[in-house]
Amino acid sequence: MSAPLLSVSDLTLRFRTDEGLVTAVEDVSFEIAPGEVLGLVGESGSGKSVTAKSLMRLNARNAVYAPESRIMLNVDGREIDVLALRRERDMKPVRGGAISMIFQEPMASFAPALTVGHQMVEQLLLHTDLSRKAAKELSIEMLARVGISEPARRFDQYTFEFSGGMRQRAMIAMALSTKPRLLIADEPTTALDVTIQAQVIDLMKDLVSEFGMGILFITHDLGVIAQTADRVAVMYLGRIVEQGPVRQVLRAPQHPYTRGLLAALPRLDALDVPLSPVPGDIPSPLERPHGCVFHTRCRERVGPVCEAATPMPVELARGHVASCVRLTESREDVA
Amino acid sequence: MAQFLRFTLIRAGMALVTLLLVSMIVFTLMELVPGTCAERYLAFKNTQGAAITVEDIEAEERRLGLDRPFLVRWASWTGNVFFRGEFGDSCILRLNINDLLGDKFLISLGICLTALIFAYLIAIPVGIIAASSRNAWLNGSLRFVSYLGLAMPNFLLALMIMLASTVLFGDSMTGLFSNEFRDAEWSWARVQDFLSRAWLPVLILGWSATAFALQTVRALMLDENDKLYVTAARARGLYGRRLLWRYPARHALGPIINSLGFDLNRVFNELPIVAAILTLTEAGALLLEALARSNDQQLAGAIIFLLTASIVTLNFVTDIALALIDPRVRRSVVGA
Repeated sequence: MSAPLLSVSDLTLRFRTDEGLVTAVEDVSFEIAPGEVLGLVGESGSGKSVTAKSLMRLNARNAVYAPESRIMLNVDGREIDVLALRRERDMKPVRGGAISMIFQEPMASFAPALTVGHQMVEQLLLHTDLSRKAAKELSIEMLARVGISEPARRFDQYTFEFSGGMRQRAMIAMALSTKPRLLIADEPTTALDVTIQAQVIDLMKDLVSEFGMGILFITHDLGVIAQTADRVAVMYLGRIVEQGPVRQVLRAPQHPYTRGLLAALPRLDALDVPLSPVPGDIPSPLERPHGCVFHTRCRERVGPVCEAATPMPVELARGHVASCVRLTESREDVA
Repeated sequence: MAQFLRFTLIRAGMALVTLLLVSMIVFTLMELVPGTCAERYLAFKNTQGAAITVEDIEAEERRLGLDRPFLVRWASWTGNVFFRGEFGDSCILRLNINDLLGDKFLISLGICLTALIFAYLIAIPVGIIAASSRNAWLNGSLRFVSYLGLAMPNFLLALMIMLASTVLFGDSMTGLFSNEFRDAEWSWARVQDFLSRAWLPVLILGWSATAFALQTVRALMLDENDKLYVTAARARGLYGRRLLWRYPARHALGPIINSLGFDLNRVFNELPIVAAILTLTEAGALLLEALARSNDQQLAGAIIFLLTASIVTLNFVTDIALALIDPRVRRSVVGA
């Protein structure tokens, strides 16, 4: 296997607030190979977006990274230690160059008083040696590539003149125009109609295989993950509780939370079967449970051991890892 | 370009309609003051010991055209104002209002606008930088100064400056002109004399206006800074001043421009108190006099109309400025 494009290890991120340090992400480790799509799933508040933003250091000013956290980016054989970058200027090659990001709300992600073209050209001038004219030509070409009709006219328009699906296409065109190595897609289809969702997902898959980039695909929609991702990581309250190849995780989920998420999906082939939601709400980050973070809502909790210690990740099959005390017990017969 | 022209024309038309409505409201308010101009004219005679009869009043009303219907009188007043810039005679002083006001209104307006420009010239850059700076000391001291500006009444500041000036220079700095120029014709020397004194009311009015504007600008900038498009721009690799001026600052400018018309009114309302202390002869003081003391409806109406017209004009100008910087405004001709 080739060297990973991105490798995140022991990422722990806390926010300094008036109530003290609030842990948003804890001990998160994952890798993305070139051309690979990693799906990151979890409820709102599970730390998906915070994790994604830390790859580009976009979190708010009160974010504190724990000293053992590492985010390494491998670009053309050169390793970039993202967390070691101190000044905004040093982050420029990462932001928009090596990594591009697509946001959930395409309307809010474009500046309202600047034309779409202006923002696309600006990014190209920042990261490439293109002339203004060449940058404009490339931008129009990219708009055409994502299926926007009359791209030359659209280039001079503002986002409020675009439809929802068109905005997300323009966002994708802009993100891919600098040919990044890694694309972060933060719920790129959540704000779209179901019919347009499929179009946008197909478009992203096509472009990604053509450009050969890695994708971190964030969503709470397991259906979308099943369609797009090669591997999936399930997050709960700032921790990755299970990760592995997408088919394996979805067919044979090992962590009670993953099972809960799958059971909560409505089934079109069995409409009379009642939905079984994961009981309770995700706890406030201010009151993180001790031990296993999921034990307060777990249907399969073993007992005091769940509250006592954070379960260690267990490798069940090649690349399929889950952190649950039940898995440790069955393997090592710990009473 | 065609879109912009259309926008400007429609906005100009709307401003005219607004002015017409304003003239209607002002004229109605003038009529609501108890008693008519004719009665006031004759009441003056009463003080001379002459008896007044109902016939006298009716004759006077006919002479002044007050016996005509309301709408006709409004039309003739508005027509005179719009086409000839004539406000008629004052009821009490029996003088032509245009002569009476002279350049007082323009001077008042000039002082207020200068104070406003002064305030925003300071508040915009300082507010933008303060909102984006992490420096606790800078933010703390700015907040202190602007709370001081908001909390300390203008007249107190005026009195303090007068006191200091009297003690230090033996000149209380009151009045808009020094003695030799007070009643002189306008000349270059008089302009210089005026400017050497006018900075004081401008400073006093501008002080609290700056404090106010600074709070507005800072709050708007903090608001914009948190928006997703700023994060998205950072995610594309923009940083520093380029990011600041092209993204949040540029987008905060719209609401700032919007608040100008409102601020002009506020500053104009503060002017009379400052004027009273500095013994300036300006239109605000005249308005107070006409409204509160002598019930001079014609004079008060004229000043109120002039002030409202200035605000409508300023709003028109800010609308055009908004359309220049914000494409959404350009498109929604009538929209908010």
